[in-house]
Amino acid sequence: MSAKLWAIVKREYVERVRTKGFVIGTILGPLLMGGMMIIPMLAARSTSKPLSVAVLDATGSLREPVEEALRAARFDGKLRFQVQPVPGDGPEGGPAALATPGASEAALKKAVLEGKLDGYLELPADAVSAGTARYFGRNVSNRIDLRTMERAVSDVLVGQRLAGAGLDPAKVKDLTKELDLKTIRVSASGEREDRGAAMIFSIILLMILYVSILIWGQAVMTSVIEEKTSRVVEVMGSGVSPTTLLAGKLLGVGGAGLTQFLVWSLSLFGVSLAMAGPLAGSIPMPEVTPLMLVSFVLFFLLGYFFYAALYAAIGASVNNVQEAQSLAFPVMLPIILGMVFFPAALEAPDGTLAVTLSMIPGISPLIMFLRIVVLTPPLWQIGLSIALMVLGILGVLWVSARIYRVGILMYGKKPTFPELMKWVRHA
Amino acid sequence: MNDKAIVLKGIGKAFSGHVAVKDLSLEVPRESVFGLLGPNGAGKTTTLRMVLNILGPDSGTIEILGKPADHAARDRIGYMPEERGLYPRMVLEDQLVFMAAIKGMGRKEAEARLGPWLERLGLADWRRKKTNELSKGMQQKAQFIATVLHEPDVLIMDEPMSGLDPVGMDVMREVMLDLRRKGTTIVLSSHQMEAVERLCDRVALINRGEKVLDGAVSEVKARHGKNTVVLAYDGDGSFLGALPGVAKVTDFGQYVEVRMHDGADPQPLLREAVARLRLRRFEIVEPSLHDIFVETVTRHGKEAA
Repeated sequence: MSAKLWAIVKREYVERVRTKGFVIGTILGPLLMGGMMIIPMLAARSTSKPLSVAVLDATGSLREPVEEALRAARFDGKLRFQVQPVPGDGPEGGPAALATPGASEAALKKAVLEGKLDGYLELPADAVSAGTARYFGRNVSNRIDLRTMERAVSDVLVGQRLAGAGLDPAKVKDLTKELDLKTIRVSASGEREDRGAAMIFSIILLMILYVSILIWGQAVMTSVIEEKTSRVVEVMGSGVSPTTLLAGKLLGVGGAGLTQFLVWSLSLFGVSLAMAGPLAGSIPMPEVTPLMLVSFVLFFLLGYFFYAALYAAIGASVNNVQEAQSLAFPVMLPIILGMVFFPAALEAPDGTLAVTLSMIPGISPLIMFLRIVVLTPPLWQIGLSIALMVLGILGVLWVSARIYRVGILMYGKKPTFPELMKWVRHA
Repeated sequence: MNDKAIVLKGIGKAFSGHVAVKDLSLEVPRESVFGLLGPNGAGKTTTLRMVLNILGPDSGTIEILGKPADHAARDRIGYMPEERGLYPRMVLEDQLVFMAAIKGMGRKEAEARLGPWLERLGLADWRRKKTNELSKGMQQKAQFIATVLHEPDVLIMDEPMSGLDPVGMDVMREVMLDLRRKGTTIVLSSHQMEAVERLCDRVALINRGEKVLDGAVSEVKARHGKNTVVLAYDGDGSFLGALPGVAKVTDFGQYVEVRMHDGADPQPLLREAVARLRLRRFEIVEPSLHDIFVETVTRHGKEAA
């Protein structure tokens, strides 16, 4: 590398890495990502304490079996309900049946509002035959708990009906046992039960990849515009060729981007590995393979160079960031398409759509990476995707360097697309 | 060794149909101060950019220090563009060392040379400050250091005096003449001819991309003769324009400049002025470059018409 190119690379890198924004972003990034990863997992596992509920029974016969069923109801191996007596119920207040339903209900509502109860279940007189019940609670959006309750009560009602028909509920339950399908991801490094974590994990990685590519691509654009507006570019032009200047910028900004990206991904994978050990049982962590880590970094770099080169051309042809907005959208289109199509690719990672998209330069960094995370595509596909992407980068660089060369000394009217094409042809 | 710092031979440059520079030939001798003068839009900046290889000429050849203009040659040039440019958020010291690196000077050497320059231009206390914390005048000086830090053999400055206060101008002039004494060739471009004509040994006047005239300043002036009279007086001088031999009268408020026809004798003018006005000053002077330029361009226009 020539001394001049090195000076430019170093300047771009050092000036960027020194900023507060970079330091904060680099440190906060992993914290945010950690939060993004862990919180939904914890939330999904509902570690909140069991709900304290009461059962208001109008049938006179269901209270005990329902209470018993609720006490025994579990989600993910944990008991979910603490059954409380209905106020005015029990030895002191006399049997519930004797208390007027209205009085008990008012007392229950009061208890819920005062926070003594989380909610209560009301079983109407025709609960068994109609199969209806109502739950009154302060929080009725806790889907998982309500679903658990529904299942427990439903089992009791079904049991009652079966008994009424002369069948043994235990035997019926045994005979109609539902299938419990566990998913296990098979890979070279072993098998691991996967409870949806792989999907969440791959989406998070995809987001990081998408955001990083765009952020650092745009950093190149801003840097080019800044050199134009501060008119440094002409001073630079008297010492180095525009191609050297562009190369130095792409490498320097890319180096800063890579630094941040490495910190992010290493801490992400580090956390993932750390949690796979002691917490392996309680928190499902997806498997992290070296191939994933390597391709994560590789596809960031490929995506970065592709989009950064395009953004550099935009930066060179405009006078300020506002003008750049309208030109930036068409450039972002491929990567946006990647984000639009990733659910489809996740659904069928070996389908025609996913395989095709993972070959198109600009889209491939997202889709091929996704395919590598969810399954291991044939090596020739990975190789072809990378080769095509490298060709794409070279093509984009060729066009961008030509636009850049002309654009950096142009001020005034924003060029039209045909004018840009003319620059490319004549540069 | 070639005694020319810069030689342009028939260079031309057009931008999408508009001709910016047309068949321009110039020779800048070594160790001279050369003025490239002309109005705005005459093609000065385009010419300088071609010398620096920022733009490639459509036609013609450029030689710098006896060699064809290439990347190595332009490292020997210090260039201060008309639109000054520094990285606003860079620390001054880092910025200047970086600018020297862009011109091929190593870090150690640039750092060693930086101190004396900062001292000389009064920026020593600002070396660790960011550029956007500096005043406009200080930024101008910083820009100048960025131009000369790598010790160029040729210094090219586009509109060097624009934006400078009188003190700054004096400092700049002094430093420039000092560099010239040490053997640096200096090329100045400006549309304010009075501001630079006193500095220049040689000038070239260009208009609409074409050279109008060039040569040593004394020669150019001698060629146009001593046909200008400056008068300062009390009274009504409106009759001056009607006197024989007078081509043009320009009133500057404090004084009046009278341009005589070629070969006309100013003595009758003096006699009339003494007779009819209270004369405070009467001086036969060389025409200013500005006048020569205007006159030459007008004559060219007439010839073309």
